[in-house]
Amino acid sequence: MADHTATHAIHDPNIGTTGLDHRKMGMWIFLGSDCMFFGSLIGTYLAYKGKSLSGPGPHDVFNIPLTSYSAALLLASSLFMVLALTRLNEDRIKAAAFWLFATAAFGLHFVLNQVYEFTTFALDEGLTLSTSLFGSSFFVLTGFHGAHVTGGVLWLSILMVLALRGKLDRRDYTKVEIAGLYWHFVDIVWIAIFTIVYLIP
Amino acid sequence: MPGTQAAKTQGVLWSWLTTVDHKRIGILYGSSAFIFFLIGGIEAIIMRLQLARPDNTLVSAQTFNELFTMHGTTMIFLAVMPFSASFFNYMLPLLIGARDVAFPRLNALSYWIFLSGALFINASWLFGVAPDGGWFGYANLSSTQFSPTHSIDFWMLGLQILGISSMLAGFNFIVTIINMRAPGMTLMRMPLFVWMSFVTQFLLVLAFPAITVALILLMFDRFFGTLFYAPSAGGDPLLWQHLFWIFGHPEVYILILPAMGIVSEVLPTFARKPLFGAPFVIFSGIMIGFFGFGVWSHHMFSVGMGPVADSAFSIATMLIAVPTGVKILNWIGTLWGGSIRFRSPLLFSLGFIAMFTMGGLSGIMHASPPVDLQQTDTYFVVAHFHYVLFGGSIFGLFSGIYYWWPKINGRLLDERLGKWHFWLMLIGFNMTFFPQHFLGLIGMPRRIYTYAPDLGWHFWNMVSTIGSLIIALSFVVFIVNVVKTMRSGTPAGPDPWDGRTLEWSIPSPPPVYNFAIEPTVHDRDEFWLQKNGDGHGGKPASRPRAATPQDIAAIHMPAPSYWPLVLALAVAVMVSGLLVSTYQIIVGGLLTLFCMYRFAMEHHRPAAGHEY
Amino acid sequence: MAEAHAAAQPSHGGGHATVKTYINVAVALALLTAIEVATLYIPGIPHTLLVSALLFMSALKFFLVVGFFMHLRYDSPIMRALFVGPLIIAIAIILALLALLGAFILLPRHVP
Repeated sequence: MADHTATHAIHDPNIGTTGLDHRKMGMWIFLGSDCMFFGSLIGTYLAYKGKSLSGPGPHDVFNIPLTSYSAALLLASSLFMVLALTRLNEDRIKAAAFWLFATAAFGLHFVLNQVYEFTTFALDEGLTLSTSLFGSSFFVLTGFHGAHVTGGVLWLSILMVLALRGKLDRRDYTKVEIAGLYWHFVDIVWIAIFTIVYLIP
Repeated sequence: MPGTQAAKTQGVLWSWLTTVDHKRIGILYGSSAFIFFLIGGIEAIIMRLQLARPDNTLVSAQTFNELFTMHGTTMIFLAVMPFSASFFNYMLPLLIGARDVAFPRLNALSYWIFLSGALFINASWLFGVAPDGGWFGYANLSSTQFSPTHSIDFWMLGLQILGISSMLAGFNFIVTIINMRAPGMTLMRMPLFVWMSFVTQFLLVLAFPAITVALILLMFDRFFGTLFYAPSAGGDPLLWQHLFWIFGHPEVYILILPAMGIVSEVLPTFARKPLFGAPFVIFSGIMIGFFGFGVWSHHMFSVGMGPVADSAFSIATMLIAVPTGVKILNWIGTLWGGSIRFRSPLLFSLGFIAMFTMGGLSGIMHASPPVDLQQTDTYFVVAHFHYVLFGGSIFGLFSGIYYWWPKINGRLLDERLGKWHFWLMLIGFNMTFFPQHFLGLIGMPRRIYTYAPDLGWHFWNMVSTIGSLIIALSFVVFIVNVVKTMRSGTPAGPDPWDGRTLEWSIPSPPPVYNFAIEPTVHDRDEFWLQKNGDGHGGKPASRPRAATPQDIAAIHMPAPSYWPLVLALAVAVMVSGLLVSTYQIIVGGLLTLFCMYRFAMEHHRPAAGHEY
Repeated sequence: MAEAHAAAQPSHGGGHATVKTYINVAVALALLTAIEVATLYIPGIPHTLLVSALLFMSALKFFLVVGFFMHLRYDSPIMRALFVGPLIIAIAIILALLALLGAFILLPRHVP
C-alpha cells in the first residue's frame, strides 16, 4: 500500500475509494428516488384515468401536434447537453457555453409551450385544477415536471454565465456532467408522460 | 475579563452553528432527539392520566386527538429517527475508517432542516392548532371540509420539511458508505451497524417520495381546490392510504433496522465472540428492507381490498417474519457459549431481543386478515407497535447510547444508575403495554379519550398508567446519570469495553480528524484482530504504527460554513409562507434559490489546499 | 489509492461515446417519436397493439437516453445499480398500486 505519510499527497476530496466521484454517485441515487416520486404521480394519474365525473376528457383537449413538438424540443435539448459536455472536455469553453445556452433555450421553449397549453385548457376548455380528477391529476403531474424543467433551465443558465465569465472550465466537468444527468432525467420523465398521458387512449 | 468571556461563548456558539463535523452534527441530532423524546413522553403521560379512570375529564376529546397525533408524529419523526440519525452521523465514518461523510455541508443542512421542521410542527401548539388527524392523517378527514383549521397544514408542511432532511441525509450516507470505506474494507467486512444503516438509507430515499406525493396531493386539495381525495368528485380516500403506507411500512423498518444494527454490535462485544452467522444477519437485513416494500396493505385489511389482495399481502407479511427470525436466532447464537459481561449496553440489547420478539409475535397475528379484523383499531395494535418500537427501537437505541457514550463524551456513564434505568424501564414498559393486549381483545378501541365505567376496562387502564409513570421515572434516572457523569464521570479511555471495531482504536472523544493514519482493514472485527491476532496462529496481533506530527499536519478537514443554517432558514420561511402570505412564499423561495447558489459556489474556485 | 488522484484530470468512466454516436442516438429518438405519433393515427388499430407498441417505443427511447446521453452504458455497475434498482422498485410498486385501485381488472374487488 502506498506510503500514507506523504505530506505532499494530492487528494481530490470528491473522488472516493471506488474511483468514482461522490457527486455523480449522489446524483444517480437522487434520480433513482425521483423515479419513485414521478412514479407515484404517474400512478395517481393512471388510477384516476377515466374516473372523472364531469368536465372535458384528455382526448377532448390534448393538442398532440404541439405536445409532439415539445417532446422533440426536449429530446433535441438532451443532444445539445451532451455536446456542451463534450466541448467542455475539449476546453472549448465558448462552444460549451453556446450549447448550454441552446439546451436551456429549448427547455425554456418547452416550459413556455406548457404555459400556453395550461392557459388554453383553463380559459378555452374549462379545465382547471378543480374541474375534475383529470384536471387535478393532469396539472399536478405535468406541472411538477414543468417545475423540474424550470429548475434545470435555471441551473444550466447559471453554468452558461459562469462559462462566459471564465469561471467554468475542464476542471468542472463533473459539475456540468451532473447538471446534464438531471437534465436528461427530466427528458426521460417526459418520454414516459408523453406516451402514458398524451398518446395512450 | 467579561468582554472576552462573552466573545468566547459567542465563538463557541458560532462554531456549533457553522459546524460541518459529523461528530458535532451527531451530538446536535442526539440532543434534539432527546428533548423531543421527552416532549413526546409528556404527551403520552397526559394521555395515560386521562385514560387511567373511566369518564375522566383531565383533557377534552379535541385535546386528546391532538395528543395522540403529536405523540405519534413526535416519537417517530422527531425522536426515533433523529436518534438513529445521531448514530449514523457520529459512528458511520468511524466504523468505516473515514474522516467525515461524503458531503459535510449537506450533512449540516440535513440537521438544520430537521430542526426547523421539528420546531414548525410544534409551533402549532403555540397557535392552538396542534394537528389532530392522527400521525397517519387519513383522507378525507384531512380535507378542509372536515379539518377547517390550520392544524392539518402544520402537520402536512412539517412532514414535507422533515422529508427533505431525511432524503438529503440518505443520499449522503449512501455515497459515504459506498465511496469512503477504508482500504481493505469490502462490503462483507463492513460492521453490522454500517450494513443495517446502509439498507435503511435506501429505504429512506425510496419511501419518502411516496409520502411526499401523498402530502403534495393533500396540499393541493387543501390550498388549491384539487379533488384527489374528494369522494364527491370520484376521488378515492384509499389513494391516500396506499401512498401513505407505501411510505409507512418501509418507515417502520427505517425505525427498527438501525437498532438491530446496534444490537449486532453490542452482543459480540459483551459476549467476547464474533457475531454468529454474520453473513446471514446481513442478508436478512437486506431481505427485510427489500420485501418491506411489498407488505404495505397489511395496514389496510379492513378497507375491503378483496380476498386476492388480502391474501397476497398476508402471505408477504408472514414471509417477512422469516429473516427477522433468522436474526434473532443468530443473536442467541452469538451469546451462546460466550464469556458474557452483563453491563448496561448488553442489558438493553437483551431487552430489545425479548421485547421485539414479543412485538413480532403480535405482528404475526395481525398478518392474518381474519384475525386482524378483530384486532385492528383496538388497543391490541397499540400494544403490538409499542412492543416493536419502544421495546425494539428505543431499547436498541439506548443500548447504543450506553455503548457509544464513552466514545462520544470521553467518560463512562454510571453503571449502577444504568442498571436502575434498565430495570425500571423494562418493568414500567411491560406494565404499560402488556395489559393493552387484553384491553384490545376485550374491545377497547384506539384513539378514544374516555370510556364508560361498566365496560370492565378500568383495571388494566390504571395498571397501564402506573406503568407509564414508572417509565418516566426510569428516564429521570437516566438524566441524573448524564448530569452526574458529564463532568466528573470515570474517564473512559479509547477502549473501555475491549471492543472489536475501529471506533475503539482512537481516543475518546475522537480528534476532529478521527484517524491520524487511515486504517487498513482485513476483517469485520479489525480492531479485535489488531489486538489479538486471528487466534489460529495465522495473523498475529499488530497495531498500526504511531502517528507523527507530520501525519497530522497533512490532514485537511472541511471548513465550517454558515450556508447550511441560512439555507435551512430560507426553506422554513418559504414553506411557512403557505400559512401566512403569498409574498412570504415568493420571498422565501427567492431566498432559498439565492442560498442554494451561494452554497454551491462556496467552494467553486477555492484557494489552493481548500477544496472543501 | 485515493491520494494518487491529481486534482486536474477527471476520469469519466470506461469507454466513451463520440459526437457521431450522440447524433445517431438523437436521430433515432426523433424517428421513434415520429413513429409513435404516427401509430396513433393508424385507422382501426387494436387497442392492445397500440398500447404495447407505444410503451415499447417509449421504453426504447428511455433506454437510449439513459444508456448513451446519460452514459450509463459505459459507467461503473455501481452507478447502474443505484438507478436501475430504484427504477424497478418504483415500477413494481406503481403497478401493484394500480392493480389494487382497480386500474386493471385483475383483482376481484370486494363488493359490499
